[in-house]
This record gives sequence, structure tokens and C-alpha cells, in this order.
Amino acid sequence: MSALKINNIIFNNPIMVASGTYGYGDEVSDFVDLSKFGALITKSVTRNPREGNPPPRIFEVNSGMLNSIGLANLGVERYVEEKIPQLNKIKTNIIINIAGTRIDDYIETLEILESANSKHVGYEINISCPNVKEGGMEFGVSPDMTKKLTKELRSRTDKLLIMKLTPNVTSIVEIGLAAQRGGADAVSAINTVSGMRVDIQSKKPMLSTIIGGLSGPAIKPIAIANVFRLFKNIDIPIIGIGGISNSDDVIEFLISGASFVQLGTINYKHPNLINGLMNEIENYLKNNSTQTITDLIGKIDV
Amino acid sequence: MIFNEIVTVLDNVEISKNIYEAHLSSTLISNSSRPGQFINILPSSAFNYVMRRPMSISYQDNEKIKVIYKPIGPGTKMMSDWSKGDKVDIVGPLGNSWEYKGEKEVLLIGGGVGIAPIMNLYNQIKNKISSSLFIGARTKDEHFLDHQPSKDIYISTDDGTAGIKGNLYDAINSIYDINELKKKTLYVCGPPMMMEAMRLLSLKYNLKCYLALETIMACGIGICQGCTIEKDIASTDKDTYRNKYELVCVDGPIFKSNEIKTCLL
Repeated sequence: MSALKINNIIFNNPIMVASGTYGYGDEVSDFVDLSKFGALITKSVTRNPREGNPPPRIFEVNSGMLNSIGLANLGVERYVEEKIPQLNKIKTNIIINIAGTRIDDYIETLEILESANSKHVGYEINISCPNVKEGGMEFGVSPDMTKKLTKELRSRTDKLLIMKLTPNVTSIVEIGLAAQRGGADAVSAINTVSGMRVDIQSKKPMLSTIIGGLSGPAIKPIAIANVFRLFKNIDIPIIGIGGISNSDDVIEFLISGASFVQLGTINYKHPNLINGLMNEIENYLKNNSTQTITDLIGKIDV
Repeated sequence: MIFNEIVTVLDNVEISKNIYEAHLSSTLISNSSRPGQFINILPSSAFNYVMRRPMSISYQDNEKIKVIYKPIGPGTKMMSDWSKGDKVDIVGPLGNSWEYKGEKEVLLIGGGVGIAPIMNLYNQIKNKISSSLFIGARTKDEHFLDHQPSKDIYISTDDGTAGIKGNLYDAINSIYDINELKKKTLYVCGPPMMMEAMRLLSLKYNLKCYLALETIMACGIGICQGCTIEKDIASTDKDTYRNKYELVCVDGPIFKSNEIKTCLL
């Protein structure tokens, strides 16, 4: 039986918590058992604290939500002081999501985290936040910038380095290849899809930033298409994300080429979805004479 | 402590025209909640939207809680179909609660379905603190209480079909002058325009006033950071976090009227 691994890091199961949906773990510790996840990816942290965007920041749409939070977070220094001690107690792999607007922001944030007394096993690098005026997205839409940033970070850490890709590009494969060439261990795909809604009475947009990012079941087909494209063209593992709401969705992502998946928007609605998920997947494996979860990866019949 | 509790619908009654009260069996949340707090409701396992519906608790005892709602959107419409024995998935208790320790005279003001947290507080304190209750609606059919000035229960209607004709702001000003209001602590929940009028009144005359706000919410527990409102005196420092905005779900839903910039969200 092949273990679920990225490099030398072993995961109990392929299901991770998407960044921003369980904060830093402490907010849900009363009623969610985080050790049931393969990994917790923490909310994006930046070099300096950020207030985030003015309200309104979220809007509900059919089978999804638009958001434009603007990376509100307490900054890496307070993160190390206030959040790492409690994250160290959570019995699953911790992956820290880092966001930035300049290469130096990412580098400094990563270096501060490297020297912290923290058990995290890796980083997910947000190069695709659509909701920040000053950039972030610029990295994620440019193969050259993606490769450059990946390389800079790779040279500064031996921990897992995962680049989180945006679907809002002409070719996600080009960006995935750039991450791979820069030395990333994996990519996660996809971040939110660019989206917008308008109130027809007031003629005002529903979000303060006008355009935001769409998540939830509405984007699942877009995510699966992007995972499939990446799977055909890159060699490093793909962590699939986008609208997963049940075990069938997890299986669909794995078959389409994802080695791991993340639960995101669904965590707000079903905070304990993880509880029954692995049993349901085991049942599927049994009923389909498949030995292990890893045997499903990329087994799409095309 | 926050719980993810599966509760049973004990009753689901239309208490006035198109306004419902659901009674839910609950041991965990009922025993740990305080007036002003809310729960985040999954209306049904077949609910196709991605956000739970946050609702103020209108009543709690050791075995049950109640919520009051108006079927408007897909979530509340599904709730109006709940029948006795249905299982419902809720998360709570969430948010802060009304502060009323040491108050001598209180004025409770609820408009529309904003009556839920107001009724909860009223039932909690009516025998302990001198309390006046003002409930507003558009018309008589939407009220479930009678106008009883002798008991300090006042209702208002926009069309004058019951109680005092006019909005709550006018109703309150028709009963009390400003010197009387100054002796009272105000607790307010209702439509944004009414809350904003009360907020401005409280600032003008330096009245002690608490407002229970409602915003769109995804997580209800301070994670998604979607439910922000601007603080009254927002910091202009660069590179800060939570100096400019409050989260309605964890910093609220109850705010002092001088803490926030507006009720018009």
C-alpha cells in the first residue's frame, strides 16, 4: 500500500482544510476535530498586518459565494507569537499559507516562519489572491514571476513548498510548469474564480471592491478541468480545490488527477463534514475493487 | 464553548402574519446561551446555498431555544416547512450578549423580526428591572402582542391599525421626553433605518444605547471575516489589523451606539 506523501511528509488522508476556512484552528477547536484532516492550511499570513477591504466583503450566489476579504490578517510577527503555540498542539500536519505583494514580502515572511519554534511541515504560497489591489495576482498570472518567486523561496526552505494557482489565466499549465521548474513540491488548484454581481435597484456592485472571487460548488467543474489540465502536463502532485461538498466530489477530483484535495467554502456550512468522509471513500474503494486511495489518482478513463 | 448540535423541531408556529417562531429542543446550546446571542442554522440537509442562516435566539430555557423569522429567502422559506420531529443542524451559541447588569430603567425596542433578541432580553429582565417594551410593525396583523400601556408594552404600526400610528422612533418620542430617555438604557434591534435613527438620537443626547446588528455572514465564528462593519473612530494607522473594522459575528452582534460608524450596512 503506497502511503500518501509529498516528498517525505506523510498524510493520514488526502483531505486538507483550505486556507481561510478554519482560520488558525483555534476558532473551531470546540466543535471540530482537526486531527481528522490530512492537513490544516492556515489563513493567509502577510509580512505586515492588514485590515482588509471595506464592507461588504461577501455575497451569496447560487451554489457559491463571492468574497473580497483582502487578506485581513494579523501579520507574521503576531502570527508567530499568538498562533504558532496553539497550532503546534493540533495533531495534524500544519501548512502555513503565505501571501504578499512583493517578492521581498514573501521572502521575509517565510524567513521569519523558518526561524520560529513551529512544527509546520510546509508552506502554501498564495500567488493568486484576486482581491488585493497592490498585486499578489501579478505573480500568479505570470510564468516568469511564478518561477522566480518559487525559486527564491525554494532556496530558503526544505519544508514543503506548494504554489496555489489561479484559474483566472490563459493557461494554468504554463503557471504550473513554472512552479515546477522553480522547485515547488506541489501545486494547489484552484483559487477563486473572478466574479461579480450587481444590485439592479441601486445599480451598485454587491462587493466594495466591485469584483471578487467566487468559491463553492458553482466552481467545481472549472476546478476539475484545471486539475485535469495540470495532471496531463506537470509531474508534481496536484492538490485539488474548488467546490468540494461530499465524498463523491473528493473521488471525482482524485480520478481527474488530484493527489490531495482541500475542503473550503463547505466548512462554513458543514463544519463536521470530515467526520464521515473517509468511511464513505473507503466504501467506494471496496465497491470498486480499488485497494487504496492512491490507486484512484488520475485514473480517468479517456 | 460553541456546539454543533442536532436539535429536534418541537413546534413551528405562525405567531403573526407571515412571522414564525420555531421551538427547537436543545440541551447544549440552550444551557450555555445568553440573551442577545445567535445560532447559525442549516435550514435543511438539502439546502443548496453555501451559507447557514444566522438567527437571534428569542427564548431559551434548559431544554429548548426559539427563533423568530420571516420566510423571505430560500433558507427562511425552508424553515417555514419544518414540522414537529424534524432534525435540524445548528451551531451556537454565537456572538456577544446584551449587557444589563446594574441597569435601573431600560427601554427595549424591536422592529420587524428584530423582536427576537429583544423579546429574549425582555423575558429575562422584566421582573427584575423596570422595563418598557416598544414593538413596531407595518400593520396590526404583523403584531403578536397587544398595545398595553398600563404594562409598559407599546406597539406601533405604520398604518395606524393598532397601537401608536407611525414608526418606532416617533412612538418612543410620543411617550417620553428627552429627560426621561436620559434615565434609561436603550436596547435596539430592527430594520437598519430604525436602528440608525436610534443610534443618532443616542449620540445627540448622550443616551446609553445598545444595538443588535444583522449582516450577511458565512462562518459566524470569526474566521471568514466577511461580516465587517466600520468602527466609529477607525484608526488611520498603516499596517494594522482589526483597528478599523469589527466583525459582527464575534465582536457583536451587539455594539454600543458610539462604537460603530453606521447601522446602514
